Amino acid sequence: MSTPTTIPIERPTSLPGGRLWRRHRDALSSLAVAGPALLFLLVFYLIPVVMLLAQSVEGEALVHYRKALTDGLYVRVLLDTLLIAAWVSLLCLVLAYPVAYTLSILPPTWSAVGIAFILLPFWTSVLVRTYGWMVLLGRNGLINRMLTDLGWIDAPLPLLNNMIGVLIGMTHVLLPYMVFPLYAVMRRIDPNLLAAARGLGASGWHVFLRVYLPLTLPGVLAGTTLVFVLAIGFFITPALLGGGKVHMMAVLIEQQVRMFLNWGFAAALSAVLLGATLLTYVGLRRLLRGNMQWS
Amino acid sequence: MRAMASLDAGTLEVVGVTRRFGTVTAVAGVDLTVRRGEMLTLLGPSGSGKTTLLKIVAGFETPDEGAVRIDGRDITMAPPAKRDIGMVFQNYALFPHMTVAENVAFPLAMRRVPREERERRVREALKLVDLPTHGDRLPRQLSGGQQQRVALARAIVFDPQLLLLDEPFGALDRQLREQMQLEVRRLQQRLELTALFVTHDQEEALVMSDRIAVMEQGRIAQLGSPEEIYRSPASRFVAGFIGESNLYRARPIGDGVVELEGGLRIPLPPRLIGSGHGDLGLMLRPERVRSLGPGDTADIAFDGAIEEVVYLGETIKYRIKSDDGQISVLARWPLHEVGRILSPGHRVRVGWRSADMHSFPWS
Repeated sequence: MSTPTTIPIERPTSLPGGRLWRRHRDALSSLAVAGPALLFLLVFYLIPVVMLLAQSVEGEALVHYRKALTDGLYVRVLLDTLLIAAWVSLLCLVLAYPVAYTLSILPPTWSAVGIAFILLPFWTSVLVRTYGWMVLLGRNGLINRMLTDLGWIDAPLPLLNNMIGVLIGMTHVLLPYMVFPLYAVMRRIDPNLLAAARGLGASGWHVFLRVYLPLTLPGVLAGTTLVFVLAIGFFITPALLGGGKVHMMAVLIEQQVRMFLNWGFAAALSAVLLGATLLTYVGLRRLLRGNMQWS
Repeated sequence: MRAMASLDAGTLEVVGVTRRFGTVTAVAGVDLTVRRGEMLTLLGPSGSGKTTLLKIVAGFETPDEGAVRIDGRDITMAPPAKRDIGMVFQNYALFPHMTVAENVAFPLAMRRVPREERERRVREALKLVDLPTHGDRLPRQLSGGQQQRVALARAIVFDPQLLLLDEPFGALDRQLREQMQLEVRRLQQRLELTALFVTHDQEEALVMSDRIAVMEQGRIAQLGSPEEIYRSPASRFVAGFIGESNLYRARPIGDGVVELEGGLRIPLPPRLIGSGHGDLGLMLRPERVRSLGPGDTADIAFDGAIEEVVYLGETIKYRIKSDDGQISVLARWPLHEVGRILSPGHRVRVGWRSADMHSFPWS
């Protein structure tokens, strides 16, 4: 028997120009496909951002930034904003993790039902949901009324126009952004890995800690990043449920424009907020990436 | 059987195990003993209950009836983690977020083995599977065969009393699969591991096993050495499942003669006819069919023509039909036996010794 020989197929040699074109053709064609979206972002996002940044350094350069970064009030609001975003992220993570896990192990029909229950409020306007919480959380709201009628409390609990209300409202609005990335990751985890861990001597707790949790970290990172970044810029919910007592950057920025027409300072605050958002994003990635080199 | 099993003190004893899923009985009262240092294979088609039985032994399924014992200890209700069983999964189930060394160290860490000893044993285990320098890699950086070895190292590093292998070579290409089969078998014999192996590949079972349990519809159809199973299948199912064979239904008509389904009458030694009640199944391996030249004789012989030719390289498979249409037989001849490849329509005279046939009750 003769051994089969493979004859290397020579590609027809072409002019350097042609080769260059071919090498870049894929990149160019994908650029063409993405073109309209890129154009849209350029016109309606990038240019306004640049204009905003330009406004922030108008006049005496950096005076606005100096104020934004040294004035105790604004620094505190920035820190509060980051803290609230962190709390909301944590609450969402704690609430979403078991929900996403349950969805991921349910049979397809039931997980579809469960997902619908999460999607329906997700599709409802944030404004509507925030007003809904006002009805529920107010002094004479549903929750306080019920607790009073049951005789569990004497005076209504302060649930609205404070931090509690803001946290509840924001967590509710942002929860789906945590559930879906977690669900996507959890569904792809091979059940054999968990069986293997059990078979190799791991207790339920160790299976979770050593195998399941690490495998869901990409979802934790994606969900936390989404929720955190969205929470930093939240406006409607803190404005309505905070009752003017909870100050977040977005509310402050709006005040600067609406009440003082101080566009330059508002722009500087926005830039600071944008910078803080980017920093936390990079920080979170660094923090969790270290544990995710495998993915 | 049960008394025998406890006297034998096998490492693994499965006693009267039954498992039902709704109306389907996946495992139906199986008794099985795996002796110390033995590799026993559960062989069967999908749905024969072999995987369910493996899961029951591993602790991922609970039997409806019966017991599982290891070294006399009843583990029927013990959780998987408390069973001291090493398992190699179909798709290896290596933890993707851990390095090779961390994967292998996992069962040791779960058993609170001190760090130094852990590292030493991981090193030894990786050396055993011929991957001494791969400890720092991630599973996805390894080839399929290497992942397989890591899974094996992880399953034996903690000296389990029993090793379970669930179709571990299914994902490998043929050449690598054959190489790994021999390697795993060598390792199992060298370390005298007691192992239960599950496969649907009869060739693999013949290569790997000390004994084979052929499973059919939740029951053990036959238990024996590879040679026993191959040479003397106990039923039509086993004969059909193991290797290629000619199977005929035969009715004894007295005087040491049986009539095959097509009407052909052939003499058989009394050993094959047995007590003579009911129909017999007769099995003939294709390699036992001979091409007869002029003047050659055989116990059973007929003239016929080649119907079908399957080229297999050094051997060639022919389907030959007798001129009277009473019988058709599959023959497998080395190329040199007839000197050239015969084509369909070619006339041949074939025959075989009646002693080369094997019989079992037809039902």
